[in-house]
Amino acid sequence: MPSLKDIRIRIDSTKNTQAITRAMKLVSAAKLRRAQHQIVNLRPYAHTILSVIADIAATHRVEHPLLAELAENPKRVLVVVLASDRGLCGAFNTNINRFAERWYRENKAVYEKIDFIFLGRRAIDHFRKRGVEPVSAVQSLARDVSYGLAAGIASKIMDAYSSGEYDEVKLIYNEFKSAIQQNVVAETMLPVNVESSSLTKGEGGFPPDMIFEPAPEEMIDSLLRKHFAVQMYRAMSESVAAEHGARMTSMENATKNAGELIRTLTLTYNKLRQAAITTELIEITSGAEALKG
Amino acid sequence: MFTLSLVTPEKKLVTGAEIEEVFVPAYRGELNILPGHAPLMTTLSTGILRYRFKGESELHPVAISWGYCQVSPVGVNILAETAERPEEIDLARVNAARAKAAEKLALSDLNEEDLAKYQGKVERARIREEVASISKTTR
Repeated sequence: MPSLKDIRIRIDSTKNTQAITRAMKLVSAAKLRRAQHQIVNLRPYAHTILSVIADIAATHRVEHPLLAELAENPKRVLVVVLASDRGLCGAFNTNINRFAERWYRENKAVYEKIDFIFLGRRAIDHFRKRGVEPVSAVQSLARDVSYGLAAGIASKIMDAYSSGEYDEVKLIYNEFKSAIQQNVVAETMLPVNVESSSLTKGEGGFPPDMIFEPAPEEMIDSLLRKHFAVQMYRAMSESVAAEHGARMTSMENATKNAGELIRTLTLTYNKLRQAAITTELIEITSGAEALKG
Repeated sequence: MFTLSLVTPEKKLVTGAEIEEVFVPAYRGELNILPGHAPLMTTLSTGILRYRFKGESELHPVAISWGYCQVSPVGVNILAETAERPEEIDLARVNAARAKAAEKLALSDLNEEDLAKYQGKVERARIREEVASISKTTR
């Protein structure tokens, strides 16, 4: 049986923890809002680039390695696993790591070569323990992801892909559904699939007398590179938003649980205190009775 | 109706605002685009983009680095890698970036790629400074 003092100490420490989790929740909520804002801001840019690519591809039949059709059975694949640097965000990182591991087990036989790129310390550490070394890794995602960072990673991946080292590039990340829901998805990033993209084809592309400076064949290369960088940035922004959403939810739960714990502890504390008082009273009265006798 | 949209991956500067004219640093030098311009698709280089809202006389300068400009009969669509209004430019940072790049350029053993990279940095710093100074003189 814990003493009254022990219980009081536990109540105090739980209250401290609760104050921290509550603060973390508020911080995550603010960061989530910013991340959502970032995603919304990116949309017009991403959409315009894609529609320009689709228009050029439709009207000019350009050939480009990044635009090539997916090989019938891709042999060498590069998998980019996008997690986060920090914990305390529920199952966010666990889900990613588990998904990546399962994917690896299931596809080991299908592909000749599977290479990994890990983004985020949680993924790097997890796989290092299991003896999977990435070809490249980035672990400074702690701050807000910038377009520059995403573009840097994207260009590295593109160079590896263009040099023919891989037939396919996949990205595994947490898709942001809502503040309380994240989905782990595996997306094929390269080659770029223009047709499947949700695009309104109704606008009819370019007028036939469109002037191009420089020629479209030259332009499409940089456009595709830009598109890929933007997609990378979008995925990273979504992942950040999902991370903050997950952290917000888990911190809210933690705060709630702490409240519950404080309630039951206080109850026990009061019961014990009353029991002690009652015992004391009985002792006094029975002592007095004994003296009378 | 002739509108301008100016977006970067990180923000929207102008969305569908009606304009009188726009100057863009295009692939082959500066272009002045007025309503009724032929359909055009061009890349943009690092430089100063200026636009004038309908019914205003003042030109708004924006420092941009690298992007695309799509001109259609209804307006101009600009996708820039970065875009900064004069009030967003931090001169201390610009000068620091330029000094750093200049230092690298002073080294002789640069390969072509790095050379282009640092020259680009100096150029961007110069443009930013210029944009920042435009706003000071007109105010």
